[in-house]
Amino acid sequence: MTDALLAGELPLPPHPDYLRDGSTVWSWLATTDHKRIAILYAVTITVFFFLGGAAITAVRLELFEPNGWLLTSDTYNKLFSFHGIIMVWFFLVPSIPNTFGNFLLPLMIGAPDVAFPRLNLFSWYLTIAAGAFTVYALVAGGVDTGWTFYTPYSSMFSNTHVFAAAAGVFVVGFASIATGVNFIATTHMLRAPGMTWFRLPLFVWAVYATSLIMVLATPVLAISLLLVIAERVLGLPIFDPARGGDPILFQHLFWFYSHPAVYIMVLPAMGVVSEIIPCFARRRIFGYDFMVYAMLAIAGIGFFVWGHHMFVSGQSALASLVFSFLSFIIAVPSAIKVFNWTASLYRGQISFESPMLYALGFVGLFTTGGLSGLFLASIPVDIHVTDTYFVVAHFHYIMVGGSVSAFFAGLHFWWPKVTGKLYPESWAKFAAILMYAGFNMTFLPQFFAGYLGMPRRYHTYPAEFQIYNVMSSAGAAVLAVAYLLPLGYLGWSLFYGGKAAKNPWGATGLEWTATSPPPPKNFDRQPRVDRGPYDYHAQGMSAGTDPPEMQSARDTR
Amino acid sequence: MSDESALLREPWFDFGRQREAGKFGIWVFLASETLFFGALMLTYTVCRIEHPEAFAAAGRETNIWYGTINTAVLLTSSLTMAVAAQASEQSARLRRLVLSCLLLTAMLGLAFIAIKGFEYKEDIDKHLVPGAEFALPQRGAELFYGFYWLVTGVHAIHLSIGIALVSRLFWVLLRRELPAKDNPEIEVTALYWHLVDIVWIFLYPLIYLPGRAS
Amino acid sequence: MSDREEAGGDARSSDGVRRLWARNLLIWAALLVLLLLSLVAAYIPMGRVTTASGIVVAAAKSTLVVLLFMELASAKPQIRIAAISGLVFLVAMFALTFVDVLARP
Repeated sequence: MTDALLAGELPLPPHPDYLRDGSTVWSWLATTDHKRIAILYAVTITVFFFLGGAAITAVRLELFEPNGWLLTSDTYNKLFSFHGIIMVWFFLVPSIPNTFGNFLLPLMIGAPDVAFPRLNLFSWYLTIAAGAFTVYALVAGGVDTGWTFYTPYSSMFSNTHVFAAAAGVFVVGFASIATGVNFIATTHMLRAPGMTWFRLPLFVWAVYATSLIMVLATPVLAISLLLVIAERVLGLPIFDPARGGDPILFQHLFWFYSHPAVYIMVLPAMGVVSEIIPCFARRRIFGYDFMVYAMLAIAGIGFFVWGHHMFVSGQSALASLVFSFLSFIIAVPSAIKVFNWTASLYRGQISFESPMLYALGFVGLFTTGGLSGLFLASIPVDIHVTDTYFVVAHFHYIMVGGSVSAFFAGLHFWWPKVTGKLYPESWAKFAAILMYAGFNMTFLPQFFAGYLGMPRRYHTYPAEFQIYNVMSSAGAAVLAVAYLLPLGYLGWSLFYGGKAAKNPWGATGLEWTATSPPPPKNFDRQPRVDRGPYDYHAQGMSAGTDPPEMQSARDTR
Repeated sequence: MSDESALLREPWFDFGRQREAGKFGIWVFLASETLFFGALMLTYTVCRIEHPEAFAAAGRETNIWYGTINTAVLLTSSLTMAVAAQASEQSARLRRLVLSCLLLTAMLGLAFIAIKGFEYKEDIDKHLVPGAEFALPQRGAELFYGFYWLVTGVHAIHLSIGIALVSRLFWVLLRRELPAKDNPEIEVTALYWHLVDIVWIFLYPLIYLPGRAS
Repeated sequence: MSDREEAGGDARSSDGVRRLWARNLLIWAALLVLLLLSLVAAYIPMGRVTTASGIVVAAAKSTLVVLLFMELASAKPQIRIAAISGLVFLVAMFALTFVDVLARP
């Protein structure tokens, strides 16, 4: 009975799937179905992704030449600020949690929906309202503070639309908190019978850890922006040094959120990759327990390292020392994860479908980004490369090489489940390889330029750096093509793609036991779970290529 | 039983679990609120460490009477809110007690805001608003009042949301749209209300008590 | 649901109401006493101890509200963890910021 249910062999009553259950615009805008809300988010963040991408395309074009041939410095400042604000808060932070997290969390734990479905929809509307503020800031003339809103520039000197942009980020923070509360309560209260904590797929753990950070860090971002807004609008002097205020305090508050926010962006990516690598290596994940502890450790320790962004800010030497030490510590759980993904491949039956290509790309790029992060945790090196392209390259390796690669990995992995359609695999493989190549072409030269001293955020630069910038801009063009390709062939598959079966990859996990696409309430009968995740082969055996239900049958004692 | 089915919401099958989830969810949100107000209090603490004398002088200018009376008002509103929540759990026959306590809670909340309004008026008359007209000469005293206006404003917004929630609950229960017995909305609203009270409990010594002894 | 349904339970119910009020009024009285205590202590010049007394009394008052009014004392473990987690990261935020602010030259 249980095995049959897990294998999805029960005949399902014929009723429309979630996509066809109501086709009016209102049935989408007023939906409380977590899967439809996931689609709403997916459309929203796709729009923001290409908005933010368009801004940086202009920036990269500008940097082709050292002398500022295309943009004024004002426009340049506004474009990279818009790029940062949009990409961080309107793409990366909501990307994997609010699309795949929303779609998969209830499915993976065997629940009919999230704990608070109306709050879930409300969170999407908050995101839209916040996006409107931020896009207004651009349309009305832009904001030039960079995504970090550093005081006293943002509070006293900038005469651009800081208020609208900060208000947008303030509001999207509440959307983030609402989603976090919802996911935490869902994971605690709605797990199917038998779905114990240590049988949860690692993606669920990742989303859970991410939600903890969202709930506990985002309010502090809200306060830091509220203080900037209060200073600009009401003239309160909190960060004004002339009136006794403390501008460095802003950085403490801002980075108390914004460093953990890096883990909001990368933990869900780790979750996605932890689902994909076992599936295409046909192996159990290596060291499941330690993968869980590592994620919780990253979420926790991530709160204690923010000061490594402030080594040159004038904070006390003692603080720099403490934060440097703590920043080295957090490399340990990250390294555990990289080693475990690699070890999961050992003696696997590896196949290189497009999700796997993206996932392997993630592991390589995340490792590069992570190792370059250790340079920045070390005070003497950091002082040398602070505010150079070295830092830019480092965090793009983590966020674009890491999180965006994982986003595309998840997109290709779960696309058949979400849409019920199959996409052309050879195009997908081509895009994956192109993305990896384009990414490295874009950001590897920036490590060199930065280490040689090219500062970030200037629209002109000495001619000796031109070679790196030309390489980088050419790579960005390749990367842009690689990002546009999936839009084309995935869009094509919606209309002409073959029909996807329940479980096209032969993957384990409850989401693959529902139909593709799933019915509105996910499961027609409450699933029961009697084994851990990643049951790709019998315990103690090596990998096989059989589908999981056959592996499971062999495993029954 | 009919009470429970009237209160059951998607996606829950079991009312007990739904209730537990609501309570757990609001506690997680309150943890978030702790960091929200905590960050403001950190701002205050850092500024006070940098300007201890100015903060003492500025704290002396606040009106201790308004502050103390308002604290007592909010503590009393927590009492009525707690009684409402516990009565709703105890018995369906205590519906009237629940209703009257909710009404009292909302009115005490309004009283707090009214008293705060008088206090604001006095502060404005005494030129305690940061800016060119600011009354106190000490460097850093403006920071105290920057914090004062911001944090009391944010607290008043929270309290107003609380008053709106309690009033709505009162209205819904009065019209018998939902049963009062074991209604999870009462318990969730109560938890939020108490947190707003706790924030004020901490604001009281930060705003009204500095500099009284010197 | 109706008010007249359980006529037999009148005595038991009024007894319950009395206990309900007794418990909560006692907590309320303690809170008001603490409020007065912190008010009086603020006027006694003890230097830093005066400042600390205000915070300590506020902490005591909140503990009463959290444990008894919000019923954390009898709540399930997962709710206690949720409540404590906010506090833990708040303490971390204060502590690590003080490592900078208190150690500045």
